[in-house]
Amino acid sequence: MLQNTQTAKDANPYLPSIGTIVEIIEETPNIKTFRVVLNSEGDMKNFTFHPGQVGQLSVFGTGESTFVINSPPTRMDYLQFSVMKAGEVTAMLHTLSVGDQIGVRAPLGNWFPYEELKGKDIVFIGGGIGMAPLRTLLLYMLDNRADYGKITLLYGARSPEDMAFKYELPDWLERDDMETTLTIDAEAPGWEHSVGLIPNVLQEMNPSSENCMAITCGPPIMIKFTLQALAKLGFKDDQILTTLEKRMKCGVGICGRCNIGTKYVCVDGPVFTYAQLKELPNEL
Amino acid sequence: MSNLDTLKAKIKERLPDLDMVVGWEQGFDPLRATPLFMRTEEDVDRLIWNPLCVHNLATYLPGLKGRKVGVVVKGCDSRSIIELLQEKLINRDDIVVFSMPCEGVVSVRKIQNRIGSLDYVESVEADTGTVKVTVDGSSQSFGFPDVAASKCGRCQYHTALLSDEFVGEPNNEKAEDDYSDVTSFEARPQEERLAFWMTEMQRCIQCYACRNACPLCVCRDHCVAQSRDPHWMTQENSTQNKWFFQVIHAMHLAGRCTECGECERACPVGIPLLLLKRKLNKEIEELFDYKAGTLIDSTPPLQAFKVEEDNINERGW
Amino acid sequence: MAVKFLAKDNLVPWLAELAETHRTIVPKREGEAVVFRPFAKEEAPELSARPTESPKSAIFPQCDTLMSFRYTKDEEDPGKVLLDLREMKDESPAVVVGCRSCDAAGFNTFDRVYMTDKITDQNYRARRENTLFVTIICEKPATTCFCNWVGGSPTDTSGADVRMTPLEDGWVLESITEKGEPLLSSTLLKDGDDRAGDAEKIRQQAKERMPEAPDLSEAPGKVLALFENNDFWEAESAKCISCGACTYLCPTCYCFNITDESSGMEGVRLRTWDNCMSHQFTMEASGHNPRPTKAHRLKNRVGHKFSYYPNIHDGNISCVGCGRCIKSCPVSVDIRSIVLHAIAAPAETEK
Repeated sequence: MLQNTQTAKDANPYLPSIGTIVEIIEETPNIKTFRVVLNSEGDMKNFTFHPGQVGQLSVFGTGESTFVINSPPTRMDYLQFSVMKAGEVTAMLHTLSVGDQIGVRAPLGNWFPYEELKGKDIVFIGGGIGMAPLRTLLLYMLDNRADYGKITLLYGARSPEDMAFKYELPDWLERDDMETTLTIDAEAPGWEHSVGLIPNVLQEMNPSSENCMAITCGPPIMIKFTLQALAKLGFKDDQILTTLEKRMKCGVGICGRCNIGTKYVCVDGPVFTYAQLKELPNEL
Repeated sequence: MSNLDTLKAKIKERLPDLDMVVGWEQGFDPLRATPLFMRTEEDVDRLIWNPLCVHNLATYLPGLKGRKVGVVVKGCDSRSIIELLQEKLINRDDIVVFSMPCEGVVSVRKIQNRIGSLDYVESVEADTGTVKVTVDGSSQSFGFPDVAASKCGRCQYHTALLSDEFVGEPNNEKAEDDYSDVTSFEARPQEERLAFWMTEMQRCIQCYACRNACPLCVCRDHCVAQSRDPHWMTQENSTQNKWFFQVIHAMHLAGRCTECGECERACPVGIPLLLLKRKLNKEIEELFDYKAGTLIDSTPPLQAFKVEEDNINERGW
Repeated sequence: MAVKFLAKDNLVPWLAELAETHRTIVPKREGEAVVFRPFAKEEAPELSARPTESPKSAIFPQCDTLMSFRYTKDEEDPGKVLLDLREMKDESPAVVVGCRSCDAAGFNTFDRVYMTDKITDQNYRARRENTLFVTIICEKPATTCFCNWVGGSPTDTSGADVRMTPLEDGWVLESITEKGEPLLSSTLLKDGDDRAGDAEKIRQQAKERMPEAPDLSEAPGKVLALFENNDFWEAESAKCISCGACTYLCPTCYCFNITDESSGMEGVRLRTWDNCMSHQFTMEASGHNPRPTKAHRLKNRVGHKFSYYPNIHDGNISCVGCGRCIKSCPVSVDIRSIVLHAIAAPAETEK
């Protein structure tokens, strides 16, 4: 484990801790959430991380893949990872059961500047599985509610069944200390919330950019148009935070595949402001 | 006007209708030619045609599918184009083939074996009579056949089998190819043959230059060597694993390989891979009386199905 | 600093002595290539021809087992499967004898990435700290050599523990580091003070033989400035066939893949050489590839060596100028000319 008390000189950055899956939630037809507890009580107790940091999950025999820790550091009964089935490792993860052993290398990468965000209004804009990285910060902020201004969430998915974290949505909708809007791409029977693409719904919501930070994550096409919508709403480039995804192997800035020019997404990211992204060469 | 000048003129004439024409120019030292992608008339002026033009430029064609491309070929290279057309990996309408009669190319390795090191080559004069190499102010001359690529000694296709612009007099000489290299290898005991390949494959660095230089090895980006799904090969660098790849490679080229020798030429550690491909081609020739890339209208035997093959006794038990 | 003389006839006996205490790795002719192999008794190494491959596998093997894993049934609770994980490390002492100055210097590029304040690659460190380098100077540059473009020289000692300078009848050996000194304690080595002058003359000559190097100080900025100029990279990469010969022969290319291989309930996690020329290198599970063409990929290789790496690591170029990528490229892609073209390219006003 990287962040344990061992010094950088002695720690093996590739050696995962072993954890046990304590709960699996079928979020959508292709997303499962895994709640993992590290087997060593000490490791679990000493585990610290910041909202937005990622971890590598290992299914030994298949490999490793990177996921954000989407539970907040304020709730340490387990570490939560949501996995969309896409490749070899994610497909294998989807076959696992409660009680199965799993490798965890975490935390890796940078995080949302949650200290600097204190006192600001926050607009979360999540699309599909992109809600996962937002969830960790949202829950952290709700657990430290007094530190932050107005919290607005816009969460969209293709259809009602593609919405993850359904078990939390009623709470988010009901709470009076945050404003939640859910949207799907097209009308569906029984859907009582907004209908429309995220950027359009966002424009209608018309959040004020004054002392506000927009935090967005989702599929590339959604991000593209959301950035345009945010600009129209008066958000400056350094008022927008997002997270990047790249194919990663080592997770510690060595193996050479996640760099965009001089920046390594695994250590300099995954969290970037839009202003920082614009500085990077175009190789997303 | 020399043949080369005529060729350049023809290329310049066709260039406006093409995205590019691929030929050769002089490379980083006097012994090495390098592929040249011509887009302007000035580029065409750099074109060379001589025994140093070793590369089979047909290799680039599948990667340029969809563009209008001209390509300069030797006789043997033209076979790759025919094979690519048969397999519909390139479109005939999109390519313009330029060629001249070929009298053979050198083997850079054979020259290296003669002069010891290629590190200090100062000048090279190569024609199909002699190859004169100057190193450290002193020159050595070799008879062309001694340093020519082995494929040139058995060449049956000095003249391209397919071309749109052919410059010069066709040369229809045909050497014998009796596969004697394969036959004499086959005569060795099995353990000896396996030991030979294990020794050779040991130094393979798994760079897959053999695969990527091959004009017919078209799975490239989806190769079993790196695929995890299906997970047929491991990432281990055991000699057995390396050999496994070469066998897969050779099997997939049986009856498709035109023996251009690019696999062997591209290998940075000099593994004699063409021998393996020729073994398979020898079998194909015996079974199907077929030579890849020689007849534009035929179908490669392993891509066709006949209820009764003429030379295979299917129910002879 | 010790200066010794090793007579020609004593080379093999001296290597045999070293091999008693160290994994001793020497250049050896195999077929038409010169590769690095463990010293075999009575077998003279190939010290005159430049090795085809770099010695990087001595510290960074092409395939390294990072750990092994095993699933076992819990005897108390048969429904439960336990996982046992073991680190693998090789700390045996080793010495590489007869690699070139540039080859040994290549590991300095690795060090800045593999052993930082924040991260230590333990498998790399275990070998790095236990491997010594006896380098041999290059008397004459090959047509592909350009060590002096990138801060090296044919006699450079930045990666060496001991430096060998060839004379007619043997070699002058000087210890460069303290760790190198014990290698010179053999009685097979004679005092070399009286030959030091001859050796120095040869080294001087070697340096003078290097053609003048162009100024690459603008390279990091210029290469980066061309990042979005697809035409430039498409033209430069047109002949590249996207194989890994350049990267796998390179003494500084350090990228890798991590994959699991298993059989039944047990297996290994391997770290293997990987290369940015390969389409799969950056391919994402979604099907998206941020470096979809060979133009993107060759740009990354050249960019990393001459721009990104120096930008992060105090201006150090991550290329030692050994020229293998030029010499062994199946189509003679010449990284020198790509860098010079980038430097000469007109500044872009707009992308």
